[in-house]
Amino acid sequence: MLLMYALGLIMIFVLTFHLLLVSPLTGKTFAEALSYNYVLHNLTYYQIIFGILLYAATIHGLNGFRIVLIEWLHLNKYQWVINSVIVVLMAILLAFGTYTLIVL
Amino acid sequence: MNKRFKSGLLTSLNPTRYNLERWSYTLHRITGVILALFLIAHIFEIYHVTLGIAGWNQTIAELSNLGVFELIGMWIIAGSALYHGANGLRLILNELFGLLLGKPRLPEYPYSPMSLGRNQKIVIYAITIIVVAIWIWAGLYLLAGLGIVRW
Repeated sequence: MLLMYALGLIMIFVLTFHLLLVSPLTGKTFAEALSYNYVLHNLTYYQIIFGILLYAATIHGLNGFRIVLIEWLHLNKYQWVINSVIVVLMAILLAFGTYTLIVL
Repeated sequence: MNKRFKSGLLTSLNPTRYNLERWSYTLHRITGVILALFLIAHIFEIYHVTLGIAGWNQTIAELSNLGVFELIGMWIIAGSALYHGANGLRLILNELFGLLLGKPRLPEYPYSPMSLGRNQKIVIYAITIIVVAIWIWAGLYLLAGLGIVRW
């Protein structure tokens, strides 16, 4: 749980920053905030912040999803199936996300 | 799937027979699942930036084809993120640092949950009001994208 609290606390700051970048406070419309140049600029200029967000959100989100699934489904014998699927999914998402951040 | 299992699943999603904390627990779970599923889609969506301007514009155009459903989806996700974040901060103060809980006391009839004192109630209501206010603001911003509302 300490991991979830720590990552959650990090995400409160980093995700707020991420949401502010696409919020009306930037003076942009929703379509402008999704334009290629703006997205590319944000991902390259704030690469480290987005990297922190990617890892924190993926680990926090999928671990939370794993906990919810285990508590809802009560598949005690087959917990390892859920755990394995989540770990594989986490690895795939982190690979895609890291590739996106590095290649730009 | 036996009967007991089904009833357990539904009961765990039904906060109506319990108190305010149960409502925030249920909402925290539901918004968390929404955000986790969105995160998976979002990472794959952002990956399309690497395909260049043509690939990115095509992705955005395909998402725009969803029309009003895209905006409703974005609105639900914005609300989920706001609530999950604000309530998560309360849980960190509460469970990690032990704040807002009041002093321990002996249980007295009529029994009331000790964790749900005056401070907790104020914070939970404040979170709800702030989140709903920002959520409406975000909704107007998204509607402005459709030209329905002038921003």
